[in-house]
This record gives sequence, structure tokens and C-alpha cells, in this order.
Amino acid sequence: MQIEFSIIDFLLVAPAVALFIFSCVPLLIKVLRGNKEQNTFATLIYAYLGIVIAGGFAIFMAGTERTAFQGALVFDGISSFTTIIVLVITAVSLTFARDSYSSNDKQFSEAMFLTMNAAAGMLTVVWSNDLIITFVGIELFSLSLYVLIAMSLEEKLSKEAAFKYFILGSFASAIMLYGISFIYGTVGSTYLPDLLQATPNLLSTNRMFLLGFILLLAGVCFKVGIFPFHSWAPDVYQGSPTPLTGFMATGVKAVSLAFFLRLMASQAFTVERFWPFVDVMQWMAVLTILIGNVGAFRQKSLKRMLAYSSIAHSGYVLIGLIAAGIGGSSMLGAAGVMFYIFTYSLMTLGAFGALHLLEAHSDSDLTIEDLKGLASEKPWVALSLTIILVSLTGIPPTIGFFGKFFIFSAAIKQGLVWLAVWGVVGSVISVYYYLRPIVAMYMEEPILRRAAVEMRPLSYFAVAFTALLVLVFGLASEPFYQVVLSSVAKVF
Amino acid sequence: MLLSLLIFTPLLFALLVALAPEKWIRPMSFVLSALHFLLSCTLFYRFDPAKASLQLVERASWVPTFGISYFVGIDGISFWLVILSAFLTPLVVLGSWTAINQKVRSFHICLFLLLSAMVGTFLAMDAILFYVFFEASLIPMYFMIGVWGGPRRLYATMKFFIYTMAGSLFMLVAIIALIFMTQEQLGTMSASILDFYKLEIPFVAGSFLNTQTLLFFAFAVAFAIKVPMFPFHTWLPDAHVEAPTPGSVILAAVMLKMGTYGFMRFVLPIFPMASESWAWLFMLLGVIGIIYGALVAMVQPDIKKLVAYSSVSHMGYVMLGLFALNIYGATGGLYQMLNHGVSTGALFLLVGMIYERTHTRKISDYGGLAKAAPMFAIAFVIVTFSSIAVPLTNGFVGEFLILAGSFQANKTFAAFAVSGVVLGAVYMLWAVKRVFFGPESEMVKEHGHDDGLELGAREMFVLAPLVVLIFWMGVFPSDFLNWSKASLDNLIENRSHYELNVEE
Repeated sequence: MQIEFSIIDFLLVAPAVALFIFSCVPLLIKVLRGNKEQNTFATLIYAYLGIVIAGGFAIFMAGTERTAFQGALVFDGISSFTTIIVLVITAVSLTFARDSYSSNDKQFSEAMFLTMNAAAGMLTVVWSNDLIITFVGIELFSLSLYVLIAMSLEEKLSKEAAFKYFILGSFASAIMLYGISFIYGTVGSTYLPDLLQATPNLLSTNRMFLLGFILLLAGVCFKVGIFPFHSWAPDVYQGSPTPLTGFMATGVKAVSLAFFLRLMASQAFTVERFWPFVDVMQWMAVLTILIGNVGAFRQKSLKRMLAYSSIAHSGYVLIGLIAAGIGGSSMLGAAGVMFYIFTYSLMTLGAFGALHLLEAHSDSDLTIEDLKGLASEKPWVALSLTIILVSLTGIPPTIGFFGKFFIFSAAIKQGLVWLAVWGVVGSVISVYYYLRPIVAMYMEEPILRRAAVEMRPLSYFAVAFTALLVLVFGLASEPFYQVVLSSVAKVF
Repeated sequence: MLLSLLIFTPLLFALLVALAPEKWIRPMSFVLSALHFLLSCTLFYRFDPAKASLQLVERASWVPTFGISYFVGIDGISFWLVILSAFLTPLVVLGSWTAINQKVRSFHICLFLLLSAMVGTFLAMDAILFYVFFEASLIPMYFMIGVWGGPRRLYATMKFFIYTMAGSLFMLVAIIALIFMTQEQLGTMSASILDFYKLEIPFVAGSFLNTQTLLFFAFAVAFAIKVPMFPFHTWLPDAHVEAPTPGSVILAAVMLKMGTYGFMRFVLPIFPMASESWAWLFMLLGVIGIIYGALVAMVQPDIKKLVAYSSVSHMGYVMLGLFALNIYGATGGLYQMLNHGVSTGALFLLVGMIYERTHTRKISDYGGLAKAAPMFAIAFVIVTFSSIAVPLTNGFVGEFLILAGSFQANKTFAAFAVSGVVLGAVYMLWAVKRVFFGPESEMVKEHGHDDGLELGAREMFVLAPLVVLIFWMGVFPSDFLNWSKASLDNLIENRSHYELNVEE
């Protein structure tokens, strides 16, 4: 069998290659200098260079609508849109990470290497057009993340978190792979378009295929944190260093949801007889929203609170995914999901970034008590965090409102009014815990002794910029929504 | 341009105040808010009261995929509410001159953000734009109560926010459903309220689970919480009592009107059949609110809480009037909205003024205040007369029209509502008697020497326009009602096929 790759194929995967090459540079320098860490800022510059070059390639090749490597990778609207999101998330997370490493530890080159490779793995998942490639990508970013979480030297919690994530994550990967093997056994291919074409027939007639499909979805649900596969999230989020939590909470979810969206492009869900299957998904969405929001209600630790809130947000996205699945050619659901992925990433990254700005050292676990009276001491951080929390609640005119608006619209358009109502109930519950930090920051007396935190100008700027974007994209959501609509147009 | 200016200049003012030197903040925000009021007064020249149509319209596309646009306009229903918002803000700035003495800058920024959101709510003619302003107005008020409020402010502000938000989110679902309905029935997706009026929404009399009734309740509950109508009123006493004086004034005078305005703008014309068949429920709850509010006000030991419960009672009249569904009721309802804004606003200002001096709001601490502070007593008694609807004051006109309207609609409800008038007089006059007459209490003696409790020039200047308005609106109601008459006639007469034309 002759296997040929054109030069264009290599151009298309250039972003991942660029990330990999530039991730190696600081590590090599470190080795050549006798295991002495170079200036963290220089390392960060290499990372930025790699990301900018990757972004350049991604933008250059955007809108080409082609497949590469014999159809194993696909480059369409969803790919290029999510690629850009992943690259931005990586850049911002590394900025946060550099600021915490510059103060306490010497292993930033390693951290940067792992983060960039995790990003390359995420890009692989985004581009993947074949279940095996998807699996490889998922493993690439998961393994990088396991090591990253465990890497910080002094923290006990992080070891626990890493171990939990590793055990459960491996289990989920195994389940997913098991599912893929069933699918391969019944369809005779792991090629995604083949799978999507076979789904409408096989899903109802072939038990094996159904089992394989369910196991595959279970694996994805684990990565995204959808009920009943959500329980790892709070512990892992709490234990990981904050900049990394932000990276995990946004990057992993963004790409896993994009993959989920590709699975929902099958026509199977538009046919009425598969609705028991869709019913189960609806209940999962409702329960995810409720468990996420109710769970966040009682949390003292802000990171745990955000972990539960991110579970809830997965639930909102699942509403959009269901709408996308049963909507068939109506693109509202898919566009809502893509828009929400961006919205969620922006808000969550900003929220974790703001927490990172307030942490004196990397194993501090901020509680709401720690925020008391923050507004008078750090007015800009408090203001940014307030805007981001208001957006997470979904109050206009922030982007969070429009994210929910597009998702709920898609659901109502498909007649899933009850799902929209549950989403609304969840939002009402969320008002309480999102506003509590604001109450603490603005309305309560300052605590007497707050641990001094050194200035972190780059992270500071990044957080303020996120908050600004939350407002700007909220007021000008239309042009952005058009981009999203056109990005999903070819797939659905 | 004028309407956009009215909505957005406060944002610019907020920015100016944010950058102003510490010393200038109060005078500057007084001058700026007074300018905003003058700007709103140009509406008297630009708005034509003879026409029922929507005037001074501005339109720009915002999210065309869902037919959402920046669409503002004014008609007789929103006209006075806009003026009221603009009119009260400078008074509030002046009234809070000494009451707010920490974080002054943030307070005035909040005030201007709130003004922008309030005016925007009344002018928005696009449902999503309305929703945006409606929700956005919560945030500054949330901070106002939470930062500058009383001892239980955190509880009160959370309760206020969650209550209001809960209602309005269900309204959002209903709005989205209506947007898709415009696509089905009119061909293009539109979030314009004017297009909502054209919809034929399926309705089945006597059942609950039909489209029109469900959508009707989604809107009605959101607005009923805001009004607040019995049994959704429990956030109000907490919020009012804990809010700082300026917060209470704006909350009572303007923000509650967003609810009743919502009934007039959305609920009655978009769901004509559902509102007709459920009118009894809202009249009933209105009457319960009137009597319940009055009875609870009667036993309050705290004068601010008394005023807060009187609000529940007064807003009950407004709901009763609106759901009488005739011209007297609607006119009275609108008029009572303005009356309540003026008189309850003035009451909260007065309570705040005396609280600043004595730091107590317990009625039992007072007594014989009339001798120590005669001007204060005169002002308080005049406002009380307005609140209990004594003839020649504005309250009389509003309540008379509402009762006349509800007699036409339902005699039983009207009969009970009339008893509320008596109860209203009871609790207000009783409170006046205990506070102002009788022997001087220890507390009054302690603070009362050297005119310590008497009003200052600034405070008289704040109260004077309100007192003038009370009599003006009481003696010459047509000066005010003529501006709204055409729109109200249109709302009532063409209710089943309501249409609002746009005056280009």
C-alpha cells in the first residue's frame, strides 16, 4: 500500500508541530546548562513564540475545509475555531503559571514543556477524524496533565489530586477504548464519517454498537464532567495549582466538547425512535446542572466552588449538544455550543486567573473568607472578578448572558422548553454562590492580616483583559456569533 | 438621538464622577443629574401627547440572527416614568449629601449606572433590550443596599437579588419562545415588542396548560415579584429597611414601577385573553395586598418598615386598577404609580432625614416631635395626606380613579379595596400621632435643643418640589394625565388587537 502525504498535510498540522518544537527549546537549554533553570521569562517568550507561530499557521489555513493524512485529520470550521481557543488558553495559562513558578520553584521549563504538549494533544483531538487519533490525542493531553498536577513539590493535596485524576482518568480512557473496540467490531472502521453514517441504522438494531457508543460517550462525559461522571472534578481542581486548574478546566473541556459536538452531528438523533437515548441525555443534563449548582452552594473553597460551577456549565452545554443532535440541519444548537465553549473558557480562565493573583503561595486554598474587604485593597482585581462572576451568573450585558441565551434559544427552538426551564432553575441557584464572593469583597469588613502577594503584572493584565472581553463580547456578540455559525455550517 | 442621550449620558456622568477629585463629587453629581433632568424636560417639547403612537423612535440592529435590535421609543405610558426617574435623581443626590459619608465616589457611580438602567428599561421597545436593562438595574441596587445599607444588609440584598432574578429568568424563556413565534407567524425573527403585539397566541379558556396562559404567567410572575404583589412581596420590607435612604427612595419610587410598567407594556397587550380570564386572580391578590399591607404596617414598631409595608398596600391599588381593564382603572393605575413615586419617595427621604439626627427609627422613641421640629412636622403631615389620599392631594385622584374603575369591573373587590383606604388612614395617622404629638419623649428632648431636629435649608430644598407636586397633581390632574391619555385609550380600547404604530 502506497502512503503519500502532500506538503499541505504538513502545513495543516504545523500548529501542533510548532508547539512541540518550541516546547523543547527551554528544556534543551536547561540540559545544556547543566540542569540550571534559565530565566523563566525567557522560557515564557519561547512559549509565546511557539503559540504565535502555531496561531499564524492556524489562521493561515483556516477556512480551507480539507482533510489530511488520508482523512485521519479534518480541518473545518470547528477545528480552526477550537484551535484558536486552545492556543489562547495555553498562552494565558502559561502566563499565570510563569508568575507562580517565578516565585517558588525551579521547574518552569518542564511545566512549560508539558503544558505545550498537552496543548498539542488537545489540537489533535480537535482535528481528529478518527477515533484512534482522538484517543491518542486524549491520552497525550491527559498524561501531560497527570504529571503537571503532581509536579509541584511541596503540596500534599496535589499528589492526591494527581493520583485521583490518574486512576479515574485511566479508567475512563480504558472504558472509552473498550467502546471504540465495540464500534470497530460492528462498523468495521474507526473513521468518524463512517461511524456517523452507520449510527442511524446500527444504534437501534445492534446492541453491540449501542454499547460501544454509550461507552465512548461515557469516556467523553468523564473528561467534561457530566453527571454521573463528574465526581473527580472538585478534588482534582482543588488540589491542582491554580494556573493549571484554569488550563484543565477550560482546555480539556473545550476540546472534549468539540469532539462531543462532532459525535452529535450524526443524523441518528433526528429520528424519533432514538429518543429514549436522547431522553437519558436530557436527564443527564438536568442532573448535571442541579448537582453542579447545588454542590457549589455549600463550598467554602473558591476552587471547589468553581469546580462545581464548571460541572453546572457542562450541563448547560449538554442542553445545547442535545439541541444540536435532534435539530439536524438547524445550526442553532451547534452554534450555541461553540459560542458557549468560548464563553465558558473566557470566564473560567479569568476566574481562576483572578484567584491566582490573590494566592500568596501555590498551595494556598482560598476561601470566601479570604476575599473579605478585597475591594478596598485591590480594587481592580475585585472589579475584574466581579465582572467575571456576574458573567458566570448570566446577567446581561455580559457574554455569559448571551452564551446562555443562545443555548436556551436552541433548546426552545427544538421544543425542549423543559430543559431550558431547568437551565433557568440552575441559573437562579447559581446567583447565590456567584454573588457571595462579591458580597465578601465589597460589603464585608476587611480581614486583618492578609498574606502579602507580590505583583504579577502580566497575569494582572491578562485577568483585567479577560474581564474587559467579557463585557465587549457581551455588547457585540453578533459578529462573533456569525463567525461561530459559519464555523459549524459545514459540519451540520 | 434624544432618547439615546437620556439613556447613555448617565454612563458618561458615571465616568466623570469616577475621575473627579474627591471634593467635587457631590456638587458635580448634583449638577450632572440636574442637567439630565433638564434634558429629559425637552421631552415636553418633542413628545406629542395627542398621538397614541410610539415617538422619537431610534432603531439599530444588534443581534440580527435573532431579530434583536437596539430599539427605543416613548409613548404616553413610559413618558412620565422617564421624567420621574430623571426628576428624582438630583433630589436623591441632594438628599444623600450627608447621609452617605463613606465610599462617596462609588455611591454616585452606582447612582448614575442605576439611572441609565432605569431610563433604558422604560424606553426599550425590544424585549431583549428591555431584559438587559431590567437585569442590569439590579446590580447597582444590589451594591447600594449591600455596601451602604443597615445591619442586615447582606441578607436583604441577597434576597432582593435572588427573588428578582428568579422571576425574570423565567421571563427570558418566555421572551425566547415569543421570538420563535414571530418567526413562525410573521416570517422574520423579531424581538421587537411591537411585533409581539401582532402575534396570535393560542389560548384555551379555563385551562392552565396552554401557550398563552403559560407565557402570560411567565411574564406576570416576573413583574409581580418586582411590583411586588402579594404573596411575592417578602423581599421588599427587608430591602427597604436595610437600604440607605437614597436606595429606598429609588427602589420605591422607580424600581417598583418597572413591574407595573411591565404589566402595561407586555402582559396586558400581548396576552389579552389570558389577562382577561385571569384578571380576577390579580385583582384578588391586589386587594389582599392592599388590606394585608395596611394591617401589617399598622403594627410595625419601625417607621421605615411601616412605610415599606405601605408600599405593598399602595402597589396593590395599582395592580387592582390595571386589572380592572377599563380606562378609569388604567388611568388611575398609571397615576397611582406616579403618586407612589412622589409620596413614598418623600416619606423615605423624611424618615432618612430624621434618622440621620436621632439614629433611631423606632416609633416609640419619638413623641412630641412637632414642637421640636415644626417644619419637619408640616412636611411629614402633607406627605402623609398624599399617602392616605386626602382630597386636593395627588393620592386622592389616583385612588378615586382606581376605585371607580374597579367598581365597574367587580363590586366585591372594590368594596374591600375601599376598606383599605380607611386602614391606610389609620396606620399613617396613628404613626403621625405617636411621632409628632403628645408629650416630648426623652430622645426628642435630648436632640431637640437649638433646633437640632429641624430641617436645614438643603433638606427643605429637596422636599419643596415634592410638596409642590403633591398639590399640583392633586388639583390639576389633567396637566399630567393629558400626556398619557391617548396611549391609555389605545391600550384599553384596542386591547384585544393592540397595535402600536411607529411615528417616524
